[in-house]
Amino acid sequence: MQKLGLIKAMTAAGLLISASAFAQDTIKIGLIQPLTGSVAYNGQADVAGAKQAVDERNAKGGVLGKKVELVIEDGQCKPANSVNAAEKLIQRDKVVAMVGAFCSSATAAVIPVTEKYQMPLVTGVSSEASLTQKGYKHFFRATETDALLAHTFAKIIYNNLHLKKIAYIGVNDDWGRGGVAEFSKQMGALGASNAMTEYFDHGTTDFYTLLTKLKASGADGVFVAAETQDGSILVKQIKELGLNIKVFGVGSWATSDFISLAGPAAEGIYAAVPYSATMKTPKNEAFVKTYFARNKENPGKYGAAGYNSLNIMMEAIERAKSTDAAKITSALQKTDYEGPNGHFRFMPNGQAWGFNAVLVQIRNKVPEVVMMAPIDQPQ
Amino acid sequence: MDLFLQFLANGLVQGMFYALSALGLTLIFGLMRVVNFAHGEFYMMGGLLGWYVTSRLGLDFFTGLVLVTLVMAAFGWLVDRLLIERVRHLGEEPGILLTIGLSIFLVNTAMLIVGTAPEKVAGPVGNAPLIFGPIVLTKLRLFAVGCCAAAIVAAHLLIRKTRLGRAMRATFQDPMAARLAGINTARVYASTFALGTTLAAISGMLLGSIYVVQVSVGGVVSLKAFVVVILGGMGSFAGAIVGGLVLGIAEAMWGGYLSTGLVDIVGFVIVILTLIFRPYGLFSTRAERA
Amino acid sequence: MKFERNALFAFVALAALFPLLVRDQYLLHIGIMFLFYAVLGTSLNLVMGYVGEFSLGQTAFLGIGAYTAALLSQDFGLPLWATIPAAGLVSAVFGLAIGAVTLRLQGPFFVIVTLAFSEVLRLIANNWVSLTNGPMGIAGIAQPAFLSHESPLFAKTLYFYLMLAIVALSLYLSYRFVYSAIGRAAVTVRENRYVAQSVGIRPFRYAMIAFVLGALLAGMAGGFYAHYISVVDSEIFGFSFVATMIIVVLVGGKGTLVGPLVGSLLVTLLEEYLRDAKELRLSIFGLVVMAIVLFLPNGLMGFLARRREQYVASESPPQQVAATVTRTAA
Repeated sequence: MQKLGLIKAMTAAGLLISASAFAQDTIKIGLIQPLTGSVAYNGQADVAGAKQAVDERNAKGGVLGKKVELVIEDGQCKPANSVNAAEKLIQRDKVVAMVGAFCSSATAAVIPVTEKYQMPLVTGVSSEASLTQKGYKHFFRATETDALLAHTFAKIIYNNLHLKKIAYIGVNDDWGRGGVAEFSKQMGALGASNAMTEYFDHGTTDFYTLLTKLKASGADGVFVAAETQDGSILVKQIKELGLNIKVFGVGSWATSDFISLAGPAAEGIYAAVPYSATMKTPKNEAFVKTYFARNKENPGKYGAAGYNSLNIMMEAIERAKSTDAAKITSALQKTDYEGPNGHFRFMPNGQAWGFNAVLVQIRNKVPEVVMMAPIDQPQ
Repeated sequence: MDLFLQFLANGLVQGMFYALSALGLTLIFGLMRVVNFAHGEFYMMGGLLGWYVTSRLGLDFFTGLVLVTLVMAAFGWLVDRLLIERVRHLGEEPGILLTIGLSIFLVNTAMLIVGTAPEKVAGPVGNAPLIFGPIVLTKLRLFAVGCCAAAIVAAHLLIRKTRLGRAMRATFQDPMAARLAGINTARVYASTFALGTTLAAISGMLLGSIYVVQVSVGGVVSLKAFVVVILGGMGSFAGAIVGGLVLGIAEAMWGGYLSTGLVDIVGFVIVILTLIFRPYGLFSTRAERA
Repeated sequence: MKFERNALFAFVALAALFPLLVRDQYLLHIGIMFLFYAVLGTSLNLVMGYVGEFSLGQTAFLGIGAYTAALLSQDFGLPLWATIPAAGLVSAVFGLAIGAVTLRLQGPFFVIVTLAFSEVLRLIANNWVSLTNGPMGIAGIAQPAFLSHESPLFAKTLYFYLMLAIVALSLYLSYRFVYSAIGRAAVTVRENRYVAQSVGIRPFRYAMIAFVLGALLAGMAGGFYAHYISVVDSEIFGFSFVATMIIVVLVGGKGTLVGPLVGSLLVTLLEEYLRDAKELRLSIFGLVVMAIVLFLPNGLMGFLARRREQYVASESPPQQVAATVTRTAA
C-alpha cells in the first residue's frame, strides 16, 4: 500500500508543477525535440537555439505585448512519443503554435495531429521530401530537403573537386538514404560514375570493412551522409587506413565538436551544410556571439534550425496580430524572415527557399566558407 | 585475395574487441545466471570514466586505466551486494527487470551529468596506419588487441590460480556445498559481479580510445555481448574468445562481400542458429539436469 | 476466479463510461494509450504468466501486426475493420513459426532467442526498402473515411471504443484460456515442467497455444497502432516497447488477468506525470522500476493476493484455509 501513497504524492507534485505554468498570461509555443535517446545531442542543440530566439524576443517586449513561453516536450525522435507530446501540448498546455519534431518519421506522425487541430507547425530539421508534397495546409519546413541541397551544390562540388568516380556512404535512416539518393542522382547527371553505394547503421563504430571496400572500388571521391558521432569516426578511420581520397559530406560537419573529435583527419574535408558559424552574413556574427556566450560552443546547423524556426513562428504570430491558428498559418505563408543564414520565404506547399547554404572546407580546424549559394525555389 | 586478407584482419581485430567486452558478461550471465542488461552501461561508464581521468584529470592512459578499474570494481561490488543479492533467490526474472531498470537509470543519469556529446579517450599510442603487405592496421588497434589478450589472460589466471578463483568455481558448481566448506558465497558473488563489471569497463575505456565514447552506446554493446556469450557457451572463457572472433569475422565477411547495411543481422542469426542446434554453445558439454 | 471475472467486467464497464464523462481529448488520448498497453501486457502475460517463460520478443508480433495493417491499408486500400483482424491473424501465423523454434528452449536461452527474433525483424524492416520503405517507414496510413467530416473529439472517442473492444476481446480470450483445461495444463507446466510431463501433459503444445494467442492479441494491438498513430517505422520492433511491456506485466503482477490492467494504468500515469520532471524523467523511471523489483517482486496484484491470503488465513479455521488457498491460487 506504500505504492499508492507514492503515486498520490507524485501526481500531486506533477499537478503543482503544471499549475504554476498556467499562472502567467503568456503566448505559449510548443517545441517537440529529442531530449533523450541517440540523437539527443542534436536535439538539445536545437533547443538551445530555440531558447535563445525566445529570450532575445522577450527582451525586446515579446509578441503582441506578452512574453513568449516555450513549452518543451521530449519526442525522442519516435512517432508514438512525438504524437503523445503533441497531444499534451495542444490539449493540456494549450499552445498556439508548434515547432518540431526533428526526425522526419516523428514529424510525419505529428502532422496529422496538427492538421486535425489546424495548428501551425514549423520544422527546422526534417528533410524528407514527401512532407511538403502531401498538401498539408498548416505545415511549414524552414530548412532544405536533400534534393534542394544536392541541386544547389552538386555542380560546385563536381567542378571544384574534379571527381570522376564517386562512392556514396550513408547512415541507414531516412535522412542518410535520402541524401545519398539525391546526390548520386545529381552527380551522376553531371557525368560522375558511381563506384559504390553502402549504408551503415547509426551507432556503428568500426568502418574498416566498409572502408576496405571503398579502397577497392577505385573511387577518387566519397560522399558521406552522416552525423557528428558516426561521421567523425568514419573520417578518422579513412586516415587510419591510409586512404587518400577526397571527402565531402552532408550533416553536422562544420561544428567544432566534429572537428575536435575527428582531429587531424578532418583537414581538407568539404561539407555542404545549410549553416556554418563561419558564414559571413550581417545577422550571423551577432547570433554566433550570443550563442557562444550562452552555450560555450559555436552553433551548428541544429542550433541555427531551432533559432530560425522559433523566430519565424514568433514573427508570424506578430504579423497575424492574433493567436488564432488560421491567422497564424496565413501569416506564416507571408514569411519574409532574415536569419543568420539568409532570407527565408515559403512556397505555397510550405517549403522554404531563398536562404543560403554553404560549402565549407575544413582548414586548420576551422570550417572556411568556400562558397555560399541561395537555395532556389524548387522547380 | 588482398581484399579477403584485409577483411580477415578487420574481423580478427573487431573479434578480439567483442571477446573482451563479452568476457565480463560470460562470467555474470554464464556463472551467476543473471541476465545483465546493464552490461552495455557498465561498458559506457568505463568509457566515460576513462575520458574523465584522461582529459579532465590529465592522467596518462595506464594510470587512468588502473583508476577506472578500481572505481568500477567497487561499483560492481556495491551493485551486487545492494541490489542483485536481494533478488538472487527469486529466479532470473527479477534479475532481468532489475538490470533493465538499472540500465535505464544509468543511461539517463549519465546523460544528465555528462551531456550527450560524444567524447574521446586519449589513447597512449598513435593512430597512423601501419602497413603489412596488403593489410593496413594502426598502432592503437594493435595495442588494444594486446590489451585485450592481457586482460583475458589476467582474468583466466585469477580464476584458475587464486584462492578467490577456486572459491568462485566451487560456488558455481554447487553453492550449498561451497557454503558447507566454509566459503563466504555472498563475497564470491559480489567479487564475480565486480570482476565482470570491471572487464566491461576496461573494454569501454580501451575501445573509447579507438572509437568514441558516448552515453547511448550501451544498447548495441549489450546485444553483441549476448551474441558472443551464447555462441561461445556461457561461463566459458575460451568460448567468449572464439565466439568473439567468429562474430567479428562473420560480420566482416558479410559486410565485405554482401552489404554493410545489414551487418548487425549476422549476430542475431548466429544466435538463433546456435540456440536451435547447439544451445549450450560451442564450448559447453553440459547436459540438461532434471 | 469469481473475483477476476467480476473485476474484468467492472473494468470494461467503467472504461466504457470514461469517454462519456471525460470529454477532454488529451485525457482520451492517454486513455487510448492505457488500453493499448493493457492489451500488450495481457498478451505478454499469457507467455510470462501462464507459460512461465520470459519473452523479449513480443514486439515482433506488435510490429508484424502494425506493418501488416499499414501495408494492407496502403497497397490494397482495406479499411481498418479488415486490417486489424488481418493483422492479428498474420501475427498468429508468425507466432506459430517463431514459437516452433523458440519454445524448445527455456530460461535465459528463451530470453535471448526471442530478443534475437525481434532484432532480426527490426533489421529486415529497416533494410527491405521495397516492402517496408525502410527507415522512412510507412506514413499517412488512412483513417476511416467518414471521420474526416467529424470533429477530432468524435474521432478520438471512436478510437477509444475500438481499442476497448480489442481489450474486451483480449480479456475474454485470455479468461477462457486460463480457466479451461488448456490453461490449467499450462499452469501445471509453469509450476513444474517435469511433473506435468509425468502426468501426460506435453509442455510444448500448451506453450504454443499460449504463445500463438499472445501473438494474435499483440498483432491486433499493432494493427490499431498503425491506424491511430498513422506512422509505422522499424522502431516498433525496438527495445523501448518491450521494456514498457515487461514493466506493465511485472508491476501489475504476472499470472493474474487483472495484473496487466493495473500495471498499464500505473505505467501510463507514471509516464505522463513524469513529463513535468523533464530531463529527470527517465532516470526516475529507472529507479521506480528497480524499487518495484526490490520491494514488490510479485507486482501489485500479487502483493494484494498475498495480503488477502494472509488475512484469510488469520481469520478462518484451518480446514477452510485449505479451500480458500486452492481457489485463489488460480
